[in-house]
Amino acid sequence: MPTTSPTISATMAARAVDAIKVYGSGDTEVHALRGVNVGFERGRFTAIMGPSGSGKSTLMHCMAGLDRLTGGEAYIGDVAISTLNDKELTRLRREKVGFIFQAYNLVPTLNARENITLPLDLGGGDIDDAWVDEVIDAVGLSDRVTHRPNELSGGQQQRVAVARALATRPDMVFGDEPTGNLDSRTSSEILTFMRSAVDELGQSIVMVTHDPISASYADRVLFLDDGKIVHELFAPTTDSVLDAIRDLGH
Amino acid sequence: MFKLVRRGIAANLGRLLLTLASVFIGVAFVSGSFVLADSLRAVFSQVSEDIFAGIDAQVQAVEPELSSGFDLPRFDGALTEDIRALDEVEYAEGGLFAFEQTYTLDDEGEVNRPLGPPVFTSSWGGPSPVSAFTLLGGEAPAGQEIAIDQLQADTAGFEIGDTLTVALPTGQPEEFTLSALIDFGEGGAGGSYFNLFDLATTQRILELEGQVDSIVVAAAPGTDTDTLLTALDAVIPEGLEARSAEDVIADQEEEFGTVIDLIGNVLLGFAIVVLFVSIFIIYNTFAILVGQRTRQLGLLRSIGASAAQVRTMMLIEAAIIGLVAAVAGLFGGIGVAWLLKQLFSTAGGAFPDGPLEIQPRTIYVVVVVGLLVTLASALIPAFRASRVSPLEAVRDGGRKERSMLFRVVSGSAVILPGLILLGFGLFADIDGTAERLAAIGVGGGLSFLGVSMLSALFAEPLGEVLGYPIEKVKGVTGRLARENASRHPQRTATTATALMIGLALISGVAVLTASLLRTFDQLLEEAIVADLFVFEENQGLPFPAVVVDELEKLPEVDAVAGFATIEARVDGEVSDVAAYETATGIEVVNVGVSQGSIDVGTGGIAVLSDRAEELGLVLGQSVEVEFEDGFVTELTVEAIYQEDGFIGAPFVVDRALSSEHVASDDVGFVGITLAEGFDITAARTAVEAAVADVAQVVVQDNSEFRAEAEEQISQLQVIVIGLLVLCLVVAFFGIVNTMALSILERIREIGLLRAVGMTRSQLRASVRWEAVIVAVFGSLLGIIMGVLLGWATVTAVPDITGLAIPWTQLVIYLVVGAILGVIAAYFPAARAARLNVLDAIAHE
Repeated sequence: MPTTSPTISATMAARAVDAIKVYGSGDTEVHALRGVNVGFERGRFTAIMGPSGSGKSTLMHCMAGLDRLTGGEAYIGDVAISTLNDKELTRLRREKVGFIFQAYNLVPTLNARENITLPLDLGGGDIDDAWVDEVIDAVGLSDRVTHRPNELSGGQQQRVAVARALATRPDMVFGDEPTGNLDSRTSSEILTFMRSAVDELGQSIVMVTHDPISASYADRVLFLDDGKIVHELFAPTTDSVLDAIRDLGH
Repeated sequence: MFKLVRRGIAANLGRLLLTLASVFIGVAFVSGSFVLADSLRAVFSQVSEDIFAGIDAQVQAVEPELSSGFDLPRFDGALTEDIRALDEVEYAEGGLFAFEQTYTLDDEGEVNRPLGPPVFTSSWGGPSPVSAFTLLGGEAPAGQEIAIDQLQADTAGFEIGDTLTVALPTGQPEEFTLSALIDFGEGGAGGSYFNLFDLATTQRILELEGQVDSIVVAAAPGTDTDTLLTALDAVIPEGLEARSAEDVIADQEEEFGTVIDLIGNVLLGFAIVVLFVSIFIIYNTFAILVGQRTRQLGLLRSIGASAAQVRTMMLIEAAIIGLVAAVAGLFGGIGVAWLLKQLFSTAGGAFPDGPLEIQPRTIYVVVVVGLLVTLASALIPAFRASRVSPLEAVRDGGRKERSMLFRVVSGSAVILPGLILLGFGLFADIDGTAERLAAIGVGGGLSFLGVSMLSALFAEPLGEVLGYPIEKVKGVTGRLARENASRHPQRTATTATALMIGLALISGVAVLTASLLRTFDQLLEEAIVADLFVFEENQGLPFPAVVVDELEKLPEVDAVAGFATIEARVDGEVSDVAAYETATGIEVVNVGVSQGSIDVGTGGIAVLSDRAEELGLVLGQSVEVEFEDGFVTELTVEAIYQEDGFIGAPFVVDRALSSEHVASDDVGFVGITLAEGFDITAARTAVEAAVADVAQVVVQDNSEFRAEAEEQISQLQVIVIGLLVLCLVVAFFGIVNTMALSILERIREIGLLRAVGMTRSQLRASVRWEAVIVAVFGSLLGIIMGVLLGWATVTAVPDITGLAIPWTQLVIYLVVGAILGVIAAYFPAARAARLNVLDAIAHE
């Protein structure tokens, strides 16, 4: 396991080059990202931490094609996001990117399996049922696939969300505090599963989190403050993450 | 609390505006019907006053009990001289007035006439203190001269000095020189045409030598009306009466009033239907708004607001909307009235010009109606809002849907009395149209309400079925549309209700008109033996019987009969009586004689079997018949017949008898069978030539006759459906509103869908198909209801015997419903597609 920043290269799953994001203008200007350079390797699990307003969510949103950078460039694989129009961006999100949000991840009118295959269905292509079954199996939902979200527990719902994020075999899965709404036992279930998705299925995951325990599941933790990367940790433990936060003065 | 109300309205302005629009349409229509009726009433009383300017009294025949024509009874004009001789009289003038008797002809020999209003013939001696006509230019007509109204002159392109050919009741057109242009009162012609001649000429061409139908009188200076009337009473013979101008004006206003009230009430009826439809829309909007604000309301409750305060807050919000809509509707109504006036004018029924009248009554009614409708619709949501518990502020509770059982019980509790009342209104033996209409209206309203409540039960399964093909074709987009449409069955059902009612009424009318046509077809098939018909082209008005004589002379004609409907007293009861040449009539019309022979001759009468039973008349018995001229005779029952559909009367006498005793010898239509051995086309040309001098008539065969009837029935249908389209407009707003509100509820879900790769166009399609499912659901229910309603009506009306269901039209309505859904979804869909993904996901 590497212990230093990887050199940013085009073969990475995702990267940001001189990423700048400014909200508003004039007096109300807010610099959310002030020139961030970061690369995410394939088959790695990265956590992004930082205080509120540090720019961590902005970074993730911009890299995932949900928001646009003011300056610099974000890439998924070798695709520069700023060059895409809305249609291409939608397609990128559908095919190359997976999402896990904190809550309300599922469409209430669709059952678990339909939620999982939703991005594939929207794409309209043939569905690799074997792969979908494998993913469903991996998240342990085989006996729940016909249930609607309101018939599932919070943990189960989140597992469906993870499965959906993996179903398209995306270049990168982005998690926005994916366990923020769950109790610690369910959290650890989900994180363990995300960990195994990286280790066993070779998936790449970036996750924004507040929680040092969650961060400890990652291979690498990036610390953001005031729109810049201020620190990083490799092979983190809960303690080393807490230490780093303390050292950064928060 | 008012602050909360204000904020509530401000926050939901867009959707409340749409709600407002649906109240507005209904209210504007109510206001429009009042304003139109009041304005017409004002204008017509102005016209009456203009016409009677300078007149103090009028002498006319006492209105007879039996009257077969449209015109007043005539009397000897010599009376005018006796009246002029009275000291109390300054001026007196006898006049003769006739309905649809003379027509000016155009270059092709066709009659000039307006589309709706009638053509009048009148005597006119030129401007005088008592004349109803105003001279616009030229000289009063004398001898072979004619004066016509400005409208007719403009339309036909006549100028003073032109020689006009005029079709006359004598059957011999004559030429007259146009000497003057006139106006009736001042701008009071109302689209009618007037042909004026001097009195002697009028008497000659109407074949009423020496006769008049009224004498208008101006009192000598210093003579009051009562004295004048007493003096007149002394000279006029029995059967005539002298009345003051005030009384005559009042009578005329009442007569106009009846017609105007009818127009006003028909419009008001449509307005009520539209309002009824909008109740569902308003209810839905408030219900959804309450659902969306559950959290906020719970918070209010938890910080100490009482249930009553929450309820009041909701109701005040509704009251403000209602008030704004009512005021807007009041003014909108003025626009509606103006539009309707223009519409009537272009349809040929020009109303005299006049300002639009806004009576205080209109303002009260409109404001009260707007407020009440909105408040009533908001009542249930307001109570639901007040039942929100403080706990629901913290719990993220979805809306609770009502239980199945509750829906079945409450829906049935509404629909059953509704159906009973509707059935009662349609089938029961009720005296009085108002009571019958009230029963049908209230029963129909309750039935619709009940169907709406029950339809929530099939909203889900039917939504699934309707969505199935869409899902097959459109994949997951269609699947989402289908799921969303059946997500809130009550909401879908209520939204669809507005469309259902509109389309139910439209389909009902379609079934009714199709059945009318089918009945007419059956009638033609069974009752008609004639090869050709002659009738007045425009409105089937009576025309001179001289046509019959002309046709009898033709060798090509085998049998001819002229059919008139007169009024007579048969066995003590006033009744319509058909009069035609009974000897030849049998070869023209089949009335289904079951006993005896229809050739009743001048001493006999034929009786419809039902009526014979009622009166206890049997073949060979004699019955007393009194004609309008007072002639009483005993006629022998020579025949009993079964079918009155075509001749439209329960008795038949021979025209040779009746024409001796009625003032007007006009017939409604003439039927002809052609002799064998003649070429049909040539024979027809001969017939056409023979009737050419009575220019207002046309010759048609069975299929043309049918086409004509079909066109008239269709025209009526178009007008009724045109008014009902307003219901569809309201329903359309309802779909827009519900879709917009539903999307607002689903913003986060939409954000998620977009995030995981739904394109904008897929999102739009999904919203669109959802609206289509809701719309088709409503349309389907509406069409089914409409067919049932039409069927019930056809069964209830004994005169309509052939039920016909116009499938093609119904399918078109279904497609129109679906298209309405597509259009209604446009803005909500565009709005959903425009949402920023991140904002949508973060939306609370």
